[in-house]
Amino acid sequence: MNTRRIADYVTENRESHYRLAYSYVKNPDDALDVVQESICKAIHSAHTLTSPEFIKTWFYRIVVNTALDLLRKQKKFVLADDEAFEALHAVVDDPLEDYDLHQALDRLPGHYRTVVVLRFFEDLTLDDIAEVTGLPLSTVKTRLYKSLKMLRLELESESDSDEKGGNTYGS
Amino acid sequence: MDPKIEKLRKAYDSIPIPDELEALVNQTLSQAMGASGREGSRARKRRGLLVTAASLAAAFVLFVAGINLSPTFAEKAGRLPMVGQLVKVFLLREYTHQEDAYDASLQSPGIEGLENQDLEDFLNAKYLSENKALYETFMADMAALKEAGGGHLGVDSGYLVLTDTAEILSIGRYVVNTVGSSSTVFRYDTIDKVNEILITLPSLFKDDRYIDLISEEIKSQMVAQHQADPNRFFWVEGIEQSVDMPLFERISGDQSFYISAEGELVISFDKYEVAPGYMGVLTFTIPTEVLEDVLVSRAYLK
Repeated sequence: MNTRRIADYVTENRESHYRLAYSYVKNPDDALDVVQESICKAIHSAHTLTSPEFIKTWFYRIVVNTALDLLRKQKKFVLADDEAFEALHAVVDDPLEDYDLHQALDRLPGHYRTVVVLRFFEDLTLDDIAEVTGLPLSTVKTRLYKSLKMLRLELESESDSDEKGGNTYGS
Repeated sequence: MDPKIEKLRKAYDSIPIPDELEALVNQTLSQAMGASGREGSRARKRRGLLVTAASLAAAFVLFVAGINLSPTFAEKAGRLPMVGQLVKVFLLREYTHQEDAYDASLQSPGIEGLENQDLEDFLNAKYLSENKALYETFMADMAALKEAGGGHLGVDSGYLVLTDTAEILSIGRYVVNTVGSSSTVFRYDTIDKVNEILITLPSLFKDDRYIDLISEEIKSQMVAQHQADPNRFFWVEGIEQSVDMPLFERISGDQSFYISAEGELVISFDKYEVAPGYMGVLTFTIPTEVLEDVLVSRAYLK
Protein backbone atom coordinates (compact mmCIF):
# COMPACT_ATOMS: atom_id res chain seq x y z
CA MET A 1 0.00 0.00 0.00
CA ASN A 2 3.03 2.28 0.00
CA THR A 3 2.33 3.90 -3.35
CA ARG A 4 -1.15 4.88 -2.25
CA ARG A 5 0.16 6.51 0.87
CA ILE A 6 2.87 8.27 -1.06
CA ALA A 7 0.42 9.55 -3.65
CA ASP A 8 -1.82 10.79 -0.94
CA TYR A 9 1.00 12.38 1.01
CA VAL A 10 2.59 14.22 -1.91
CA THR A 11 -0.81 15.51 -3.02
CA GLU A 12 -1.65 16.94 0.35
CA ASN A 13 1.77 18.37 1.11
CA ARG A 14 2.67 19.60 -2.36
CA GLU A 15 2.99 23.23 -1.27
CA SER A 16 5.51 22.44 1.45
CA HIS A 17 7.50 20.34 -0.99
CA TYR A 18 7.41 23.10 -3.57
CA ARG A 19 8.64 25.71 -1.08
CA LEU A 20 11.38 23.41 0.13
CA ALA A 21 12.52 22.84 -3.45
CA TYR A 22 12.21 26.54 -4.25
CA SER A 23 14.38 27.47 -1.27
CA TYR A 24 17.24 25.68 -3.05
CA VAL A 25 16.73 26.35 -6.72
CA LYS A 26 15.22 29.85 -6.48
CA ASN A 27 13.01 29.74 -9.51
CA PRO A 28 9.55 28.27 -10.15
CA ASP A 29 10.53 26.15 -13.17
CA ASP A 30 13.34 24.34 -11.44
CA ALA A 31 11.30 23.98 -8.27
CA LEU A 32 8.48 22.31 -10.24
CA ASP A 33 11.05 20.02 -11.85
CA VAL A 34 12.40 19.06 -8.45
CA VAL A 35 8.89 18.30 -7.15
CA GLN A 36 8.10 16.24 -10.22
CA GLU A 37 11.33 14.30 -10.17
CA SER A 38 10.99 13.68 -6.45
CA ILE A 39 7.52 12.20 -6.92
CA CYS A 40 8.79 9.90 -9.70
CA LYS A 41 11.69 8.77 -7.53
CA ALA A 42 9.39 8.24 -4.57
CA ILE A 43 6.89 6.11 -6.50
CA HIS A 44 9.63 4.04 -8.09
CA SER A 45 11.42 3.44 -4.82
CA ALA A 46 8.29 3.03 -2.74
CA HIS A 47 9.63 -0.23 -1.35
CA THR A 48 12.40 1.64 0.49
CA LEU A 49 9.83 3.33 2.70
CA THR A 50 9.86 0.83 5.53
CA SER A 51 7.16 2.32 7.71
CA PRO A 52 4.43 4.88 7.01
CA GLU A 53 5.40 7.14 9.90
CA PHE A 54 8.74 7.85 8.20
CA ILE A 55 7.07 9.14 5.05
CA LYS A 56 7.74 12.80 5.78
CA THR A 57 11.46 12.48 6.48
CA TRP A 58 11.79 9.92 3.70
CA PHE A 59 10.21 12.23 1.14
CA TYR A 60 11.98 15.37 2.37
CA ARG A 61 15.22 13.52 1.93
CA ILE A 62 14.33 12.82 -1.68
CA VAL A 63 13.39 16.46 -2.29
CA VAL A 64 16.54 17.82 -0.66
CA ASN A 65 18.80 15.43 -2.55
CA THR A 66 17.03 16.07 -5.85
CA ALA A 67 17.36 19.83 -5.35
CA LEU A 68 21.04 19.56 -4.45
CA ASP A 69 21.62 17.31 -7.48
CA LEU A 70 20.00 19.84 -9.75
CA LEU A 71 22.13 22.65 -8.34
CA ARG A 72 25.24 20.52 -8.73
CA LYS A 73 24.37 19.84 -12.35
CA GLN A 74 23.82 23.51 -12.95
CA LYS A 75 27.09 24.25 -11.15
CA LYS A 76 25.46 27.17 -9.43
CA PHE A 77 26.60 25.78 -6.21
CA VAL A 78 29.24 23.48 -4.76
CA LEU A 79 28.86 21.43 -1.62
CA ALA A 80 31.22 22.99 0.82
CA ASP A 81 33.06 21.40 3.71
CA ASP A 82 33.49 23.09 7.07
CA GLU A 83 36.64 24.99 6.06
CA ALA A 84 35.00 26.34 2.96
CA PHE A 85 32.05 27.33 5.08
CA GLU A 86 34.24 29.28 7.47
CA ALA A 87 35.81 31.06 4.53
CA LEU A 88 32.46 31.89 2.99
CA HIS A 89 31.05 33.91 5.82
CA ALA A 90 32.75 37.20 4.95
CA VAL A 91 30.20 39.95 5.19
CA VAL A 92 29.13 41.82 2.09
CA ASP A 93 27.97 45.28 3.05
CA ASP A 94 24.55 46.08 1.77
CA PRO A 95 22.22 48.84 2.83
CA LEU A 96 19.13 46.67 2.41
CA GLU A 97 18.64 44.62 5.51
CA ASP A 98 16.17 42.14 4.02
CA TYR A 99 18.40 41.63 1.08
CA ASP A 100 21.21 40.82 3.49
CA LEU A 101 19.01 38.48 5.37
CA HIS A 102 18.28 36.40 2.31
CA GLN A 103 21.82 36.65 1.10
CA ALA A 104 22.97 35.36 4.44
CA LEU A 105 20.69 32.35 4.23
CA ASP A 106 21.57 31.70 0.62
CA ARG A 107 25.25 31.83 1.40
CA LEU A 108 24.93 28.96 3.82
CA PRO A 109 26.25 25.90 2.04
CA GLY A 110 24.22 22.76 1.28
CA HIS A 111 23.22 20.94 4.39
CA TYR A 112 23.76 23.97 6.61
CA ARG A 113 20.93 25.69 4.83
CA THR A 114 18.91 22.46 4.86
CA VAL A 115 19.18 22.32 8.64
CA VAL A 116 17.93 25.91 9.04
CA VAL A 117 15.09 25.49 6.55
CA LEU A 118 13.88 22.21 8.01
CA ARG A 119 14.18 23.31 11.62
CA PHE A 120 12.71 26.80 11.46
CA PHE A 121 10.56 26.86 8.35
CA GLU A 122 9.30 23.30 8.18
CA ASP A 123 9.28 22.67 11.97
CA LEU A 124 11.08 19.34 11.83
CA THR A 125 12.71 18.00 14.98
CA LEU A 126 16.48 17.61 15.12
CA ASP A 127 16.01 13.85 15.01
CA ASP A 128 13.96 14.15 11.83
CA ILE A 129 16.57 16.43 10.29
CA ALA A 130 19.23 13.83 11.05
CA GLU A 131 17.01 11.33 9.24
CA VAL A 132 16.51 13.61 6.22
CA THR A 133 20.14 14.61 5.82
CA GLY A 134 21.63 11.27 6.81
CA LEU A 135 23.89 13.10 9.25
CA PRO A 136 24.50 12.07 12.86
CA LEU A 137 22.40 14.03 15.36
CA SER A 138 25.47 15.65 16.85
CA THR A 139 26.47 16.97 13.43
CA VAL A 140 22.98 18.36 12.87
CA LYS A 141 23.21 20.21 16.17
CA THR A 142 26.65 21.57 15.33
CA ARG A 143 25.51 22.74 11.93
CA LEU A 144 22.40 24.38 13.29
CA TYR A 145 24.48 26.18 15.87
CA LYS A 146 27.06 27.28 13.33
CA SER A 147 24.41 28.34 10.85
CA LEU A 148 22.64 30.45 13.45
CA LYS A 149 25.90 31.92 14.61
CA MET A 150 26.78 32.83 11.10
CA LEU A 151 23.35 34.26 10.31
CA ARG A 152 23.29 36.27 13.49
CA LEU A 153 26.84 37.58 13.10
CA GLU A 154 26.18 38.56 9.60
CA LEU A 155 22.85 40.14 10.36
CA GLU A 156 24.09 42.04 13.34
CA SER A 157 27.32 43.00 11.69
CA GLU A 158 26.39 46.69 11.62
CA SER A 159 26.28 46.94 15.38
CA ASP A 160 28.77 44.23 16.26
CA SER A 161 31.55 44.61 13.79
CA ASP A 162 32.51 48.13 14.85
CA GLU A 163 33.18 47.38 18.48
CA LYS A 164 34.62 43.93 17.95
CA GLY A 165 36.60 44.88 14.94
CA GLY A 166 35.02 42.85 12.19
CA ASN A 167 35.52 39.13 12.01
CA THR A 168 34.76 37.57 15.35
CA TYR A 169 34.80 33.97 14.20
CA GLY A 170 36.64 31.48 16.35
CA SER A 171 36.83 33.84 19.31
CA MET B 1 11.92 33.08 18.10
CA ASP B 2 14.67 35.32 16.85
CA PRO B 3 12.97 38.11 14.84
CA LYS B 4 15.50 37.66 12.06
CA ILE B 5 14.60 34.00 11.75
CA GLU B 6 10.93 34.96 11.95
CA LYS B 7 11.43 37.31 9.03
CA LEU B 8 13.16 34.62 7.01
CA ARG B 9 10.37 32.25 7.83
CA LYS B 10 7.76 34.73 6.62
CA ALA B 11 9.64 35.13 3.38
CA TYR B 12 9.78 31.34 3.05
CA ASP B 13 6.08 30.95 3.77
CA SER B 14 5.20 33.55 1.19
CA ILE B 15 7.03 31.82 -1.66
CA PRO B 16 4.25 31.92 -4.25
CA ILE B 17 2.75 28.58 -5.29
CA PRO B 18 2.34 28.36 -9.07
CA ASP B 19 -1.14 27.45 -10.28
CA GLU B 20 0.15 24.47 -12.20
CA LEU B 21 1.60 22.75 -9.12
CA GLU B 22 -1.53 20.81 -8.24
CA ALA B 23 -2.06 19.59 -11.80
CA LEU B 24 1.62 18.75 -12.10
CA VAL B 25 1.52 16.61 -8.97
CA ASN B 26 -1.62 14.77 -10.10
CA GLN B 27 -0.23 14.31 -13.57
CA THR B 28 3.11 13.02 -12.31
CA LEU B 29 1.40 10.62 -9.94
CA SER B 30 -0.88 9.13 -12.53
CA GLN B 31 2.04 8.77 -14.93
CA ALA B 32 4.33 7.27 -12.31
CA MET B 33 1.69 4.99 -10.82
CA GLY B 34 -0.32 4.20 -13.90
CA ALA B 35 2.56 3.42 -16.20
CA SER B 36 6.18 2.30 -16.15
CA GLY B 37 9.30 4.17 -15.08
CA ARG B 38 9.99 5.10 -18.66
CA GLU B 39 6.68 6.97 -18.75
CA GLY B 40 7.69 8.88 -15.66
CA SER B 41 10.78 10.34 -17.22
CA ARG B 42 8.97 11.10 -20.44
CA ALA B 43 6.38 13.02 -18.47
CA ARG B 44 9.07 15.40 -17.26
CA LYS B 45 9.98 16.45 -20.74
CA ARG B 46 6.40 17.01 -21.76
CA ARG B 47 5.45 19.02 -18.76
CA GLY B 48 4.67 22.29 -20.51
CA LEU B 49 2.16 20.71 -22.86
CA LEU B 50 0.32 18.73 -20.26
CA VAL B 51 -0.36 21.46 -17.80
CA THR B 52 -3.43 22.93 -19.50
CA ALA B 53 -5.28 19.67 -19.81
CA ALA B 54 -4.27 18.74 -16.30
CA SER B 55 -5.62 22.02 -14.93
CA LEU B 56 -9.03 21.21 -16.36
CA ALA B 57 -8.91 17.86 -14.69
CA ALA B 58 -7.96 19.50 -11.43
CA ALA B 59 -10.99 21.77 -11.66
CA PHE B 60 -13.14 18.75 -12.40
CA VAL B 61 -12.15 16.94 -9.22
CA LEU B 62 -12.23 20.11 -7.15
CA PHE B 63 -15.54 19.44 -5.47
CA VAL B 64 -14.65 15.97 -4.32
CA ALA B 65 -11.21 17.14 -3.33
CA GLY B 66 -12.81 20.00 -1.45
CA ILE B 67 -14.78 17.64 0.71
CA ASN B 68 -11.92 15.27 0.86
CA LEU B 69 -9.12 17.60 1.82
CA SER B 70 -10.95 20.22 3.75
CA PRO B 71 -13.27 18.97 6.41
CA THR B 72 -14.11 22.62 7.13
CA PHE B 73 -15.50 22.93 3.63
CA ALA B 74 -17.66 19.88 4.14
CA GLU B 75 -18.70 21.09 7.52
CA LYS B 76 -19.76 24.48 6.23
CA ALA B 77 -21.67 22.94 3.36
CA GLY B 78 -23.35 20.57 5.80
CA ARG B 79 -24.63 23.34 8.00
CA LEU B 80 -26.49 25.15 5.26
CA PRO B 81 -30.09 25.30 6.37
CA MET B 82 -31.64 23.49 3.45
CA VAL B 83 -33.59 20.74 5.11
CA GLY B 84 -37.37 21.08 4.84
CA GLN B 85 -39.48 22.61 7.56
CA LEU B 86 -40.74 19.40 9.03
CA VAL B 87 -37.84 17.03 8.90
CA LYS B 88 -34.70 18.68 10.20
CA VAL B 89 -31.06 17.71 10.41
CA PHE B 90 -29.11 19.39 13.15
CA LEU B 91 -25.83 19.11 15.01
CA LEU B 92 -26.76 16.69 17.75
CA ARG B 93 -23.49 16.15 19.53
CA GLU B 94 -19.91 17.27 19.17
CA TYR B 95 -16.85 15.61 20.60
CA THR B 96 -13.57 17.46 20.47
CA HIS B 97 -10.14 16.84 21.83
CA GLN B 98 -7.23 19.12 21.08
CA GLU B 99 -3.82 18.61 22.49
CA ASP B 100 -0.48 19.23 20.75
CA ALA B 101 -0.33 16.84 17.82
CA TYR B 102 -3.56 15.07 18.72
CA ASP B 103 -6.72 16.44 17.29
CA ALA B 104 -10.23 15.03 17.20
CA SER B 105 -13.30 16.84 16.01
CA LEU B 106 -16.39 14.67 15.76
CA GLN B 107 -19.85 15.85 14.87
CA SER B 108 -22.97 13.73 14.99
CA PRO B 109 -25.99 14.79 13.00
CA GLY B 110 -29.39 14.40 14.52
CA ILE B 111 -32.72 14.12 12.74
CA GLU B 112 -35.99 15.48 14.07
CA GLY B 113 -39.50 15.93 12.77
CA LEU B 114 -40.13 12.40 11.55
CA GLU B 115 -43.50 10.95 12.57
CA ASN B 116 -41.88 7.56 12.52
CA GLN B 117 -40.22 7.83 15.92
CA ASP B 118 -38.58 4.42 15.65
CA LEU B 119 -36.73 5.41 12.50
CA GLU B 120 -35.70 8.74 14.00
CA ASP B 121 -34.43 7.10 17.18
CA PHE B 122 -32.66 4.39 15.23
CA LEU B 123 -30.76 6.89 13.05
CA ASN B 124 -29.90 9.23 15.90
CA ALA B 125 -28.68 6.39 18.07
CA LYS B 126 -26.61 5.05 15.17
CA TYR B 127 -24.97 8.44 14.50
CA LEU B 128 -24.18 8.93 18.16
CA SER B 129 -22.73 5.47 18.67
CA GLU B 130 -20.60 5.79 15.51
CA ASN B 131 -19.02 8.95 16.83
CA LYS B 132 -18.69 7.64 20.34
CA ALA B 133 -16.81 4.63 18.97
CA LEU B 134 -14.58 6.95 16.91
CA TYR B 135 -13.84 9.02 19.99
CA GLU B 136 -12.97 5.99 22.07
CA THR B 137 -10.70 4.61 19.35
CA PHE B 138 -9.03 7.98 19.06
CA MET B 139 -8.36 8.21 22.79
CA ALA B 140 -6.98 4.66 22.87
CA ASP B 141 -4.75 5.29 19.82
CA MET B 142 -3.52 8.51 21.36
CA ALA B 143 -2.58 6.78 24.60
CA ALA B 144 -0.75 4.07 22.64
CA LEU B 145 1.11 6.66 20.55
CA LYS B 146 2.13 8.64 23.62
CA GLU B 147 3.44 5.46 25.18
CA ALA B 148 5.44 4.80 22.04
CA GLY B 149 7.04 8.25 22.18
CA GLY B 150 4.53 10.49 20.45
CA GLY B 151 3.28 11.20 16.98
CA HIS B 152 0.51 12.92 15.09
CA LEU B 153 -3.06 11.75 15.13
CA GLY B 154 -6.21 13.32 13.87
CA VAL B 155 -9.77 12.29 13.32
CA ASP B 156 -12.49 14.45 11.93
CA SER B 157 -16.08 13.53 11.29
CA GLY B 158 -19.13 15.43 10.20
CA TYR B 159 -22.09 15.35 7.90
CA LEU B 160 -23.56 16.82 4.76
CA VAL B 161 -27.14 17.07 3.62
CA LEU B 162 -26.80 15.90 0.02
CA THR B 163 -30.40 15.89 -1.08
CA ASP B 164 -33.42 17.48 0.47
CA THR B 165 -36.48 17.45 -1.73
CA ALA B 166 -40.15 17.01 -0.87
CA GLU B 167 -39.66 13.25 -1.07
CA ILE B 168 -36.06 12.42 -0.34
CA LEU B 169 -33.54 13.27 2.33
CA SER B 170 -29.99 11.99 1.84
CA ILE B 171 -27.45 12.56 4.56
CA GLY B 172 -23.77 11.79 4.10
CA ARG B 173 -21.44 11.30 7.03
CA TYR B 174 -17.69 11.40 6.61
CA VAL B 175 -14.74 10.34 8.70
CA VAL B 176 -11.24 11.59 7.95
CA ASN B 177 -8.43 9.78 9.75
CA THR B 178 -5.02 11.40 9.73
CA VAL B 179 -1.94 9.43 10.65
CA GLY B 180 0.79 10.80 8.43
CA SER B 181 -1.53 10.61 5.45
CA SER B 182 -5.28 10.58 5.64
CA SER B 183 -8.10 8.29 4.70
CA THR B 184 -11.69 9.27 4.16
CA VAL B 185 -14.82 7.21 4.57
CA PHE B 186 -18.29 8.33 3.53
CA ARG B 187 -21.55 6.72 4.66
CA TYR B 188 -25.04 7.73 3.61
CA ASP B 189 -28.60 7.38 4.71
CA THR B 190 -31.47 8.08 2.37
CA ILE B 191 -34.92 8.56 3.79
CA ASP B 192 -38.25 8.60 2.05
CA LYS B 193 -39.74 11.66 3.76
CA VAL B 194 -43.29 10.93 2.63
CA ASN B 195 -43.50 7.34 3.79
CA GLU B 196 -40.84 7.82 6.44
CA ILE B 197 -38.78 4.79 5.63
CA LEU B 198 -35.06 4.25 5.27
CA ILE B 199 -34.17 3.32 1.70
CA THR B 200 -31.60 0.58 1.24
CA LEU B 201 -29.92 -0.17 -2.07
CA PRO B 202 -31.42 -3.68 -2.53
CA SER B 203 -34.89 -2.33 -1.67
CA LEU B 204 -34.89 -0.30 -4.89
CA PHE B 205 -34.60 -3.37 -7.12
CA LYS B 206 -36.53 -6.48 -8.04
CA ASP B 207 -33.53 -8.79 -7.75
CA ASP B 208 -29.72 -8.99 -7.67
CA ARG B 209 -29.24 -8.09 -11.31
CA TYR B 210 -28.70 -4.47 -10.25
CA ILE B 211 -25.23 -5.35 -8.92
CA ASP B 212 -23.88 -6.30 -12.34
CA LEU B 213 -25.76 -3.56 -14.19
CA ILE B 214 -24.40 -0.84 -11.92
CA SER B 215 -20.90 -2.35 -11.84
CA GLU B 216 -20.65 -2.48 -15.64
CA GLU B 217 -21.91 1.09 -15.92
CA ILE B 218 -19.31 2.29 -13.42
CA LYS B 219 -16.50 0.41 -15.18
CA SER B 220 -17.36 2.00 -18.49
CA GLN B 221 -17.59 5.44 -16.87
CA MET B 222 -14.14 4.89 -15.32
CA VAL B 223 -12.57 3.94 -18.63
CA ALA B 224 -14.31 6.82 -20.42
CA GLN B 225 -13.13 9.32 -17.82
CA HIS B 226 -9.59 8.03 -18.11
CA GLN B 227 -9.65 8.21 -21.89
CA ALA B 228 -10.96 11.76 -21.79
CA ASP B 229 -8.30 12.69 -19.26
CA PRO B 230 -5.38 10.46 -18.18
CA ASN B 231 -5.35 12.23 -14.80
CA ARG B 232 -8.52 10.38 -13.93
CA PHE B 233 -7.09 7.06 -12.88
CA PHE B 234 -8.88 3.99 -11.55
CA TRP B 235 -7.96 0.45 -10.67
CA VAL B 236 -10.08 -1.13 -13.35
CA GLU B 237 -9.72 -3.40 -16.34
CA GLY B 238 -9.28 -1.36 -19.51
CA ILE B 239 -6.79 1.09 -17.98
CA GLU B 240 -3.13 0.14 -18.10
CA GLN B 241 -1.87 -0.62 -14.59
CA SER B 242 1.71 -0.79 -13.41
CA VAL B 243 1.18 -1.21 -9.70
CA ASP B 244 -0.37 -4.51 -8.77
CA MET B 245 -3.62 -3.34 -7.22
CA PRO B 246 -6.76 -5.46 -7.06
CA LEU B 247 -9.03 -4.26 -9.84
CA PHE B 248 -12.60 -3.12 -9.32
CA GLU B 249 -14.92 -6.04 -10.13
CA ARG B 250 -18.35 -5.17 -8.83
CA ILE B 251 -20.08 -3.11 -6.18
CA SER B 252 -21.21 -4.81 -3.03
CA GLY B 253 -24.91 -5.44 -2.56
CA ASP B 254 -25.11 -2.67 0.00
CA GLN B 255 -22.60 -0.30 -1.58
CA SER B 256 -22.69 3.30 -0.30
CA PHE B 257 -25.20 5.32 -2.28
CA TYR B 258 -27.55 8.24 -2.16
CA ILE B 259 -30.28 9.63 -4.35
CA SER B 260 -29.63 13.01 -5.93
CA ALA B 261 -32.10 15.88 -6.08
CA GLU B 262 -32.61 14.95 -9.75
CA GLY B 263 -33.73 11.50 -8.66
CA GLU B 264 -30.64 9.69 -9.90
CA LEU B 265 -28.79 6.96 -8.10
CA VAL B 266 -25.29 8.01 -7.00
CA ILE B 267 -22.84 5.27 -6.04
CA SER B 268 -19.97 6.27 -3.77
CA PHE B 269 -16.54 4.77 -3.15
CA ASP B 270 -14.27 5.64 -0.26
CA LYS B 271 -10.84 7.06 -0.84
CA TYR B 272 -8.55 4.18 -1.95
CA GLU B 273 -11.49 1.84 -2.60
CA VAL B 274 -11.20 1.85 -6.41
CA ALA B 275 -8.51 4.44 -7.21
CA PRO B 276 -5.33 6.03 -5.88
CA GLY B 277 -5.72 8.34 -2.90
CA TYR B 278 -5.37 11.52 -4.89
CA MET B 279 -8.67 10.74 -6.59
CA GLY B 280 -10.35 11.13 -3.22
CA VAL B 281 -13.87 9.95 -2.47
CA LEU B 282 -15.49 9.04 -5.77
CA THR B 283 -19.08 9.15 -6.85
CA PHE B 284 -20.70 7.84 -10.02
CA THR B 285 -24.15 8.86 -11.15
CA ILE B 286 -26.02 5.95 -12.71
CA PRO B 287 -28.47 6.99 -15.43
CA THR B 288 -31.89 5.63 -14.53
CA GLU B 289 -32.36 4.10 -18.03
CA VAL B 290 -29.59 1.62 -17.22
CA LEU B 291 -31.64 0.31 -14.32
CA GLU B 292 -35.09 0.48 -15.89
CA ASP B 293 -35.60 -3.30 -16.15
CA VAL B 294 -34.78 -4.07 -12.54
CA LEU B 295 -36.39 -1.15 -10.71
CA VAL B 296 -39.26 -1.98 -8.37
CA SER B 297 -40.85 1.34 -9.22
CA ARG B 298 -40.01 4.81 -10.43
CA ALA B 299 -41.01 6.28 -7.09
CA TYR B 300 -37.49 7.26 -6.11
CA LEU B 301 -35.39 7.07 -9.25
CA LYS B 302 -36.64 9.28 -12.05
